[in-house]
Parts: sequence; C-alpha cells; structure tokens
Amino acid sequence: MIHYGLSQVLMSAALVALALIIGRWWKIPAGKEMLFGSVRAFIQLIAVGYALNYIFDLKSPWLVLVVIMIMITVGAGAASGRSKKLAGSFPITFAAIAAGSLITMGIMLVLNIISLEARYVIPLSGMIISNAMNAAALTMNRIVSDIGSNRLRIETALSLGKTWREASRPFMQDSAIAGMTSILNFLKTVGIVALPGAMTGMILAGASPLEAVLLQIIVAYMLLSSVTISTVISLELTVRRFFTPSHQLKILK
Amino acid sequence: MNPGRFILEARDLFRTVRDGDSEKAIIRGFSFNFERGEIYNIMGPSGSGKSSLLRMFNRLDEASDGQVLFEGAEYQSYHPCELRRRIGYMFQTPYLFPGSIRENLLYPDSGLSDTRLRELITGIKLDPNLLDTDTDNLSLGEKQRIALARLLAAGPSMVLLDEPTSALDPGNTLAIEELIRNIARRHELTVIMVTHNPEQAVRMGGEALLLYKGELAEWGGSDQVVNNPRTEIGRRYKEKDCG
Repeated sequence: MIHYGLSQVLMSAALVALALIIGRWWKIPAGKEMLFGSVRAFIQLIAVGYALNYIFDLKSPWLVLVVIMIMITVGAGAASGRSKKLAGSFPITFAAIAAGSLITMGIMLVLNIISLEARYVIPLSGMIISNAMNAAALTMNRIVSDIGSNRLRIETALSLGKTWREASRPFMQDSAIAGMTSILNFLKTVGIVALPGAMTGMILAGASPLEAVLLQIIVAYMLLSSVTISTVISLELTVRRFFTPSHQLKILK
Repeated sequence: MNPGRFILEARDLFRTVRDGDSEKAIIRGFSFNFERGEIYNIMGPSGSGKSSLLRMFNRLDEASDGQVLFEGAEYQSYHPCELRRRIGYMFQTPYLFPGSIRENLLYPDSGLSDTRLRELITGIKLDPNLLDTDTDNLSLGEKQRIALARLLAAGPSMVLLDEPTSALDPGNTLAIEELIRNIARRHELTVIMVTHNPEQAVRMGGEALLLYKGELAEWGGSDQVVNNPRTEIGRRYKEKDCG
C-alpha cells in the first residue's frame, strides 16, 4: 500500500504541467486560472489538513459542536446569498440547514451509527451541510418564483375558500422535488454511474470495497434524511412569509 | 336565526397602501348597507377603488380601518375561508384550474353529487355532457360561465363579480348578464358587480354605487344614477368628464 507524502504530491504537479501545456497549445483562455487554481487548492487543502488535525485532537464535544455551528452558519450564508429573490432569507436557510444536519447527526449518534468524535462527526457534517445548503437554496428559489408567477391561481383558490396551504400546495410539492432532485438522482445512480467520494477515498486508503460500500450506504441515507428535512423546513418558512394569518397573499418587496 | 334586512354592512371603511415612501388611501370612508337578494352595480372611473372594494369584501385584502358586518356579525368573527365560501368572488380574468370542467366544479367542495354538478352546468346553459371536457378547449365565454358555476358550487349567499364581461363580445356579454340575473333570482343571491359600462348597470337593474377617488360619490336606482345623477361627480361621470 502506498503512503502519500509531499514528494508524491510534487510529482503529481507534473499533471498540472501537462494540463497547462495542453491548454496553451489549444489556446484555452484559462491558463492563469488553471495555474492559480492549482496553487490555491494546494494551499487551501494543506491549511484544512492542519486545521482538521488540530480539531480531531480536540476531545471536547462542545468544541465539535462549535465547529459544526460555524459550518452551518457559513452554509446558511451561502444558501441565503443564492436566494436573491427573497430578502432577509438567512434565518430561513439557517433554520433549515441546522434542523436537517443536527436532527440527522443526532439520530446517527443515538443509534450508535457513529461516535461523538471529531474525526467522524465533522467530515460527515460537512457532507450533510453542503447537501442541505444546495437543497434549501434550490427549494427557496423555486417557491419564490412559482408564487410570484401564479398569483391569480393562488388567489382564485383562496377566494374559493381554500387555506393558504391548500392554495400553495401544488407549488410547494414542485419546489420540494426541485430541492430533492439531486439526492434522488444520486440514490438512483450511485455505484453505477459514479463511485462517490467517500467510498473512493476509503478504497484508496486501503479499506475493503465491501466496508467502503457499507459506509456509502449510511452516507446516502444520511443525506436523504438531512436534505428532506432541510427542504421541508425551508419551504414551510418561506411560504409563510407570503401569507397573512387571515390567508391573504402578500406582495413581498 | 332570523335573517336581517342587510346581508353586508360596511361602516367607514378605509384601505391605504404603500406608494413608494408614502401611504395612499384607495378607499376612503366607504359606508353602505347591502340588502339581501339585491343586485348592486359598482361604477366609477378607473382607479376609483371598485376592485379594491370587492377584494376587501372577499377579505383577500384587509381594511386599514372601519368595520364590515356579514349577516350581522363582524367580519373578523368568521374564519376567512368560511367567509369566502359564503361570499364568492370572481376575478376580472377568471382562472380555471388545469383539468376538466368537473374537476373545476368540484374544487370548492369535492363532495358534490353528480346531480348537483349537472344542475350547476345546466344552470349556466352548458351541456351536461361537457362535464369531462378539458377546460383548455373552452371559449372565453364558456370559461366565464364555468367560473360562475364554480363560484356557486361553494353555496354562497352573496357573489362579488369584477367586470365579468370585460373580455367578452357583445353577444356573450348579454348572455352572461342574463345568466347572472337569473342565477341571482333563482338562488336569492346578493350580487355586487363592478362594471365600467353605465349601460350595463342599467341593463342589470338593481342599485348603482358610483365611486370616485375611493369615496362613495352617489348611489340609488341604477337607471337614476346613470341617467339622472344628482351630484356634480355623477353628472361629470355621465358626461365622461372624470375618468
């Protein structure tokens, strides 16, 4: 089994050089990005490596929780930045991502699927949070634009005595599917079209393929749970902003 | 409960909306008592608050101030959904849900019997065999009728119609007017109908209310308000000088 060190990494820089030569020959106008991107990836990952090394040595569950909360906050900020059509969406994305990730991780801890150690909790939280972030942003963008372009249909339903939930149900369902499409596709194609990163990483690190597959199944179920929770929470909180307690459709500025 | 003479009582209603940085009143101090089983035509130049008034009566919009009583009880004492089933509202461009006529008629109340559905569709002078036709294949006039029948499916005691014939040709306009008068008579419905056409108000009969800049400028029998207005605003509206 090969152990990776700095020398192997430096050797692999030959592949960057190859890409740069091909890029120059083909006149791809991205030479600078390719070079700086490679250097940047090196610096970022080395920094993260050191940071994780430090964090994994922490024995305090509270510190682990602090790190996760920081990850959730950053994820919520990114998701909120991508939902430009809804002002002040940070509390929504934060609640959605926090609920999706904390409930899922909590269940995994209670069922003893993982133990409360930084080396398990933090990488898995990273996967959960990035998936929940995408789901929340996609769901919110879809529901905001659907409600905006279907005001007459929604008000017709309200005027006929339907509740805000009944009036917006078709759009909530479509938006939920939009937010969950990527995890649903992942479940359909996993192992056939692509071997996911966690599994590939384990195999490369020397684990048996069967062991890697078992972890991957856990990861897939974990992502389905967190994405579903985040999608539903972001939908519930977003749609409520559009309606008054008297089931009236508001015009959001 | 002994039904009172008035089905709807509006008292000193105001509605203000944000207009940039300031507030703009689109309904100012509207008071009126609507009698059970009558037809009311709401007239006025564009921007006078006609549609806003109907939306407030269906509680799609909230009054900023004032009071509305339905069947003698405060609006706020009804659940908004229950109130809207009893006070139906038809938009100027009615929206039909994707699917068949049957699905649209069942929308307000999925428990309606087949006999009731047939009654509703014959009531709007359409062939009951069309019940399973897709609404995409209907003409504008037919869509308007279906929207009217769907309104009645909820069993309202009062309907609010926002310019129900504005998109129709003269033939269809007269047919829909007759339909509304018949339905009002047959179901003992109170009808409040917005129209931009004074002649239509005369044809519909009943009473007319003239709104001007959000205020009730004149009211009375439709023929009198249209042809012999008593107020300066009424006369200017007749001469088409204020809109």
